[in-house]
Amino acid sequence: MGWVITMQIRLAGFGGQGVILAGVILGDAAAIEGLNVIQTQDYGSQSRGGHSIADLIISKDPIYDLIVTKADVLLALAQLGYDSTKESLREGGLLIVDTELVQPDREFTGAPFTRIAEEEVGLALTVNMVALGYLVAKTNIVKKESVEEAIRRRVPKGTEEINLKAFRIGYEEGTK
Amino acid sequence: MYLKSSYEIRDKYLRKDMLPTIFCPGCGIGAVLQYTLRAIDDLELNQDEVVWVSGIGCSSRVPGYVNFDGLHTTHGRALAFATGIKMANPDLKVIAFMGDGDAAAIGGNHLIHAIRRNLDITVILINNFTYGMTGGQVAPTTPKGLRGTTAPYGSFENPFDIAELAVAAGANYVARWSVFNYLQGINSIKKALQKEGFTLVEFLSPCPISFGRRNKLKTAPELIKWYQKLSVPISKAKEMSPEELEGKVIIGEFTDRDRPSLVKEYEAYKKRAKKAMGWEE
Amino acid sequence: MRYPFPVGTVDFIQGDEAIARAAILAGCRFYAGYPITPASEIFEAMSIYMPLVDGVSIQMEDEIGSIAAVVGASWAGAKSMTATSGPGFSLMMENLGYAIMTETPLVLVNVQRSGPSTGQPTLAAQGDLMQAIWGTHGDHSLIVLAPATVQEAFDMTIKAFNLAEKYRTPVILLTDAEVGHMRERVYAPHPDELELIYRKLPANEEEAKYPFGDIHGDLVPPMPVFGKGHHTYVTGLTHDEKGRPKTVESEIHEKLLKRIVEKIEKNKKDIVDYEGYGLEDAEIVIIGFGIVTRSAMRAVKELRKKGIKAGLLKLNVLWPFDFELIERIAEKAGKIYVVEMNLGQLYHMVKEGANGKVPVELIPKIGGEIHTPKEIIERIKDNLR
Repeated sequence: MGWVITMQIRLAGFGGQGVILAGVILGDAAAIEGLNVIQTQDYGSQSRGGHSIADLIISKDPIYDLIVTKADVLLALAQLGYDSTKESLREGGLLIVDTELVQPDREFTGAPFTRIAEEEVGLALTVNMVALGYLVAKTNIVKKESVEEAIRRRVPKGTEEINLKAFRIGYEEGTK
Repeated sequence: MYLKSSYEIRDKYLRKDMLPTIFCPGCGIGAVLQYTLRAIDDLELNQDEVVWVSGIGCSSRVPGYVNFDGLHTTHGRALAFATGIKMANPDLKVIAFMGDGDAAAIGGNHLIHAIRRNLDITVILINNFTYGMTGGQVAPTTPKGLRGTTAPYGSFENPFDIAELAVAAGANYVARWSVFNYLQGINSIKKALQKEGFTLVEFLSPCPISFGRRNKLKTAPELIKWYQKLSVPISKAKEMSPEELEGKVIIGEFTDRDRPSLVKEYEAYKKRAKKAMGWEE
Repeated sequence: MRYPFPVGTVDFIQGDEAIARAAILAGCRFYAGYPITPASEIFEAMSIYMPLVDGVSIQMEDEIGSIAAVVGASWAGAKSMTATSGPGFSLMMENLGYAIMTETPLVLVNVQRSGPSTGQPTLAAQGDLMQAIWGTHGDHSLIVLAPATVQEAFDMTIKAFNLAEKYRTPVILLTDAEVGHMRERVYAPHPDELELIYRKLPANEEEAKYPFGDIHGDLVPPMPVFGKGHHTYVTGLTHDEKGRPKTVESEIHEKLLKRIVEKIEKNKKDIVDYEGYGLEDAEIVIIGFGIVTRSAMRAVKELRKKGIKAGLLKLNVLWPFDFELIERIAEKAGKIYVVEMNLGQLYHMVKEGANGKVPVELIPKIGGEIHTPKEIIERIKDNLR
């Protein structure tokens, strides 16, 4: 997928999947590259289980928009997240889903991120990093190295390596 | 104890350009102010390092009359302001001069939380059972059945016992006297000023104009006689039944202990933070 | 000096976090607060940072106590701050007045949420503008700043401290839940790059005798902080130049209050700040502050693409208010729109500034969502039809 001046990206799932952290890391990577970026979030009032959406706008120009109006990329990790956000993906936009958890009704790409996290990384919690790796490989929004730096900065101390591993496995998957 | 002349104390500590005071004839605030200044003088505290704080009410005017740094704040809030002063500069010794309405009604929440934190401060509390400045309304300390302009048929509420409240909330030192217990009063203030953490010395203080007049206690001597009748020394109170103590006010030292103060706790907290970040061993 | 966050570099952080970091860089060493959405992140960040930089962060029993402690700390010599929202802001009004009356430098951050009362705690609004300026009782003046981006939240926090110290006044940073919670790229300067202002202290004992007197002719008295042997008496009562209560002398009250108001008004040029876009030839000018000006900017750009000469005036300082600037714009523009997330507050000030020279129309929005550029464009285009 080629870079346009401004990219609107929406990450959707349910609370506890780490969607917002993935959004923050992607945003941080963009900031590291000197791009303008804004990240906002929307979640239910419950701490676990409700829908969870992270929005990012990444741009080479100053950003005036605050919310994703027409997403260029939508990543859905759960059916709940997909159903509530699918309308926001623009015509011809890129839909990435966890192929075992989401049944999309339009053209899509993706992989079984949760299963990969469980089986290949060895930790289901890293599903967000697997999916992020996949998204970065498919879109080239930011460089792989920038995301890796952001992961080191943002994940809890002591979990850097497993998160990086998950990100790289997801990235590999995305280049297939 | 050698007592210096009042004139000497006055000339050393009062701001002449702020006098006369607003206090009425027979008021007890002046006496308590004198005790406080005598305690400071006796301890040879550095005038430059003591800050007086107050809220609103007759007793809250005191910081204006003394030649120290002073913050005369909003009604009930003195201890919250004092928290900022003490924590921003722990080298300062802070004295709060408060009234019963100021401390226990509008400032009641600030009072119990300042005590809970064990804020390093000495509270001198003037309890005259009324709102003197605003004209004799009932206070949260007014004994049941006594009159104020907002309970003209006699107060129908239960009063607070501020000293007991302070003990329960965790103060390091609490004493209560009436204004005619001058030696005990001075000694208690001295003790309070030398301790870390929260210390409170409460004085039953006559307000003949706003309180006494409405309760058949028209002059200060009448009020003082009434206090004598009302008060029971704490040692004696221990041997009395609750029925016998009904309607009495206990005087004496309620507690004297050394729990770690807020300033100390925060110093330790800073160390803990730096250790947690790996900044310090 | 070691900082517990990156300096001299960019980071990707929330507006609330940016405010906390900027405050520390500005020299703030005392914070008192009470938890409230959406301002709690400022407090939480302060709680992490303050003990590390030998400052104080303390949770008070309520917002009344929070601002009281901040005033106390300021008189003890510390640059001090508190942050709150909605109901907490209302509770602070009493002691905000005390801070104005006693000319106490402090920064009060209001991360606006939708009210009145508990309202919509997590959603942004701009309904506290009039309260920020006029909320405490009595005649007064103060300074109100409004950021629209996380970078501005950072920069304006430093500016807020500088203005507070320079003019011995409370400064309100009027932001909102959206700016507070969103993350953006922020450049946090190294402290050496910053120009920080510290309050003017008395040069000698003679000056210290007049903590409320205009002894330098600049309307701002030097501030004798506690513990330096000045024996300063500070009261919320009307007071003379020495700080002595003078509660019935009308001329003393007038002199004091006029100086407190004039030290802000007469320095308007130094304080006010705004950004204009396309104002040179704009026939339609949108005026706003804070978060909503981002949508307005997008709207202006879209309108220009369609051949409509639109412009934007983004007000970064809301008080003192530059009525003359509005009048100058009104003289050139064909129409002014005021975009704000309330039912009309800035609108009234703009209308006063426009002085009847041009029609002023309000584009209000409440409910927690920000105007979309489309909503603004459609409203303007409807009127052109």
